[in-house]
Amino acid sequence: MANYDYDYVEKAVEVSRREFVGILGVVGAVLWTSAYVATDLIQDRTKYIKMRAQGLYKDDGKSKVRQSHNNPAVTEMYKNFAGAPLSSLSEELFHTRYVDRTKLV
Amino acid sequence: MKYYDPNAPRVLKHGLSSRLYHWGLMLGFIPAAITGLIIWLKPGGEDFVNLAMRIHIIGAVILTVSSLVYAIVSMDRIVAFNRVNFTWDSRDVGWFMKGGGYLQKMLLGWEVDLPPMDKVNSGQKLFGIGMLYGGMVLIVTGWILYAFIPVSPKSFIYWANLGHLALGIFLAMFLCVHIFLSIYNWGEFRCMFFENGTQPLEEARHHTPLWVANKVIPVRPGVSTTCLCGKEKG
Repeated sequence: MANYDYDYVEKAVEVSRREFVGILGVVGAVLWTSAYVATDLIQDRTKYIKMRAQGLYKDDGKSKVRQSHNNPAVTEMYKNFAGAPLSSLSEELFHTRYVDRTKLV
Repeated sequence: MKYYDPNAPRVLKHGLSSRLYHWGLMLGFIPAAITGLIIWLKPGGEDFVNLAMRIHIIGAVILTVSSLVYAIVSMDRIVAFNRVNFTWDSRDVGWFMKGGGYLQKMLLGWEVDLPPMDKVNSGQKLFGIGMLYGGMVLIVTGWILYAFIPVSPKSFIYWANLGHLALGIFLAMFLCVHIFLSIYNWGEFRCMFFENGTQPLEEARHHTPLWVANKVIPVRPGVSTTCLCGKEKG
């Protein structure tokens, strides 16, 4: 025998075909629009990265000196001021400290 | 204990799936809301904030999984929830004009006559709309922030983060009111947590007369229908 601990209950909710199709339509539209916006944004971002890379290669192609260790300004700076790469003064001036922020992402 | 009578007729107000989902919301949203504030305000050191972030993610998983499961197994309840939440008429205006009668009752002990309500009152309708749709936005923006920062444009992440934060603060404040009023309306609290989702019919009729009159039926033959709306049903 069933053990009823209540005497009344809410009528069953009937979902009509129109409502069901409506829900599917809204969910589908939201998912489709979200996917479209997301892919559009990522495509734009990729396009800008490619354009930036092409610009850098173009600048590089135009340059007479393409390596920093061959740059006269840099060699002069080491010769007259910082001594050599990885010298104490270079370490102090050019190196930064590492902070691990990956755990917060 | 105004309506407490173990032998009085009872009505099932919250079914098992709804009660289980309510537990999912509690165990997911409350830790996520508290740790979200910690992540935002950073009141402690790096380790403390990292721990808060881990709890935040666990809360998000509970919230997301329970919402997806409920949406699949209880679509009819979501439809019913939306129907009642988006049905507004002059009764809701009257309810808001009197502020639900809460302050009058709490501060002055006055019982204010309120327009008859359906299964939820007008304030609960607003809360329900905010939690359902705001919650969906929170879940989506949260997982975007968790998984898609490296592949998304900065402006997109900026707005996702801002929306997540603003909605989170808004819903957390709303939740404080919800918890306070649920404990204040002790019968509702008992119904959800201690009485298998059932409530004395008299209590349900006092708070939600339209629901009892229009949507409640006897669960088995032989139970009287006269007390639902004052006249015999067919």
